[in-house]
Amino acid sequence: MNRFSLALSRGIARVTEAALGPYQTAVIRIGLSATWLLFLLRELPHRHELYGPDGPWSWNLAEQLIGTNGAFTALMWSDGRVWFELVYAVAILAGALLLLGWRTRTMSVLFMAGVLSLQNRSVFVGDGGDNVLHLMSVYLVFTRCAQVWSLDARRASRARAAHARGERVTDRTGPALWCVLGFVLAAVTLAGRMEGEKLIPALLWTVWVAQALWWLAGRRAKSAEPRIMLDVVANVVHNGALLVIMAEACLIYATAGWYKVQGSRWQDGTAVYYPLHLEYFSPWPALADLLSASGTLVMLVTYGTVLVQVAFPFTLFNRRVKNVLLAVMITEHAVIAVVLGLPFFSLAMIAADAVFLPTAFLRRLGGRAARARDRLLRRHRRTPVTGQHAEEDPEATHVGFGT
Amino acid sequence: MDAYDQGERGHPRAPGPSAPDPSAPGPSAPGPHVAPRTGIAALSLRYQVGVALALAVVAAAVCVHLGMTFLHVAPPNTVTKEHGQAVDDWIYPEFEQNWKLFAPNPLQQDISIQARAEVRDGEGATVTTGWYDLSAEDGRAIDGNLLPSHTQQNELRRAWDFLVATHDSENRPVGLRGSLSESYLRRIVVLRLGRDDAVRAATGGGGAVERVQVRSRTSNVPPPGWSREKVSTTPSYRELPWWPVPRAEAEGGVR
Repeated sequence: MNRFSLALSRGIARVTEAALGPYQTAVIRIGLSATWLLFLLRELPHRHELYGPDGPWSWNLAEQLIGTNGAFTALMWSDGRVWFELVYAVAILAGALLLLGWRTRTMSVLFMAGVLSLQNRSVFVGDGGDNVLHLMSVYLVFTRCAQVWSLDARRASRARAAHARGERVTDRTGPALWCVLGFVLAAVTLAGRMEGEKLIPALLWTVWVAQALWWLAGRRAKSAEPRIMLDVVANVVHNGALLVIMAEACLIYATAGWYKVQGSRWQDGTAVYYPLHLEYFSPWPALADLLSASGTLVMLVTYGTVLVQVAFPFTLFNRRVKNVLLAVMITEHAVIAVVLGLPFFSLAMIAADAVFLPTAFLRRLGGRAARARDRLLRRHRRTPVTGQHAEEDPEATHVGFGT
Repeated sequence: MDAYDQGERGHPRAPGPSAPDPSAPGPSAPGPHVAPRTGIAALSLRYQVGVALALAVVAAAVCVHLGMTFLHVAPPNTVTKEHGQAVDDWIYPEFEQNWKLFAPNPLQQDISIQARAEVRDGEGATVTTGWYDLSAEDGRAIDGNLLPSHTQQNELRRAWDFLVATHDSENRPVGLRGSLSESYLRRIVVLRLGRDDAVRAATGGGGAVERVQVRSRTSNVPPPGWSREKVSTTPSYRELPWWPVPRAEAEGGVR
């Protein structure tokens, strides 16, 4: 009993005192937003056909379907073309800013709104990759995913340095952004456009109110306690969401694996041959023929796929085995991206997998990225102003990149 | 600020504080700089109760959500027979998911969607176009393509799946979704035939699409060369009735 209560209190201390997995949450933030951003840019020429008011899945058809399921989509607030273009543009912008980690909590909310708006508007054009993005965009809102590798982290460290020098830094952008979004939220709610399922509107309002509380608690001079409490609660929420993200990734693999076990083609070792030869999934027929030239090889890949998918959740109990399987799965997805012509699905899956990457590896990766960036910047800046670079606080530029 | 330092102490790898809240004044927060003890220990009982409450709510929400998601992706079972409605209420519409990727068996047939149109030409005569293999067009667009578009890979393919799922064996629509799927497929077909310039090809000049017809051609993927399996290579067809096309749609209403 004593040991149990000790373990419990240690567990509570762990989930309250820190937002765990700063690198892992940052990498999924970057991975998912990059996937979505690249997808939106790739579909830019096809955006009207996929999501526009006059596309095959017209605004009226979508309205009838959404009337039955109440899914959240800002695109149903108006059937105008201008509104559509605006939503698409905001979705791109939110994806880019979330990638950079600028005002991350707010951008994660806008990112989610963008993903849900477009996907729920046209549910019949998506695939597994869209499904991953859909779920993860909701989960990401609950995380503190900008602790490292973000503009927010850099801003915070600069502000901390200024604070240490005894300067006062006043943030005007945050409150302004909060006011604008609050106004939009209120207008939309009052106009009665938030009918349907209450979950997402409630989430939007909750985040908005929470940000106000956070700001107020920070300004309160009398006591630090409200702020500490909010910080602890934010850690708890983050850690809960992180657990959900990890469990979701496991569920994806477990489901995919266990259902395959039952299939005759996965049993007789020929399953992998078939998708490679479907009209819709064979961008490189010669390559597909080459890969499936040997029956033994196809069987090994078929069995290997099922084995890895079924086994993955259990390997989380052993770091080394988990890392090996992770590498195998990421490689397989990279191959699928090209061979089956599913780049965005694969990117989304790799981004979700990245939540299991070891911290040491991610820090090395971050260090390398930072060095590459610095080299690049130096090359660019050599000719114009040389003094400007030296002025910058080297600590600040390196923040979060594993220094 | 103080709170962040607590977090870092608990997690030495975190090099920087999190600043997820845009409205947060962050480190600029005015106020006395007292150094409290770690995390919840620094809080008075009142606030500790608040934290405990939050902890309980989050723990419950996580457990329920994961449980519901598990039941949603699991095969029908004793629990879902009893509480399926509760699971659906929790999951739909935003947490719906399907991970039966190529499972239990991968698709082993190419399903080609083909379409033709009935066109009224300038003189009022009716001409029927030949069949256009729209899936083959998709396939060609995907060939050698590193970044296939959803318009090429998913749109038509999934529209057909949607139609099949919402129609009975006599090709009659079932419910609202059935009629929605017909409108959707019809609009795709009109758009595609428009791009293929089917009217001009049929009449040699102007004209308008009055009706369209869709059929599917299903053929087995030939088994691998190293297998001794034999499957029929004769395709089978499923032909839908002619659908009238509203004038606005025929005149470029679908974009």
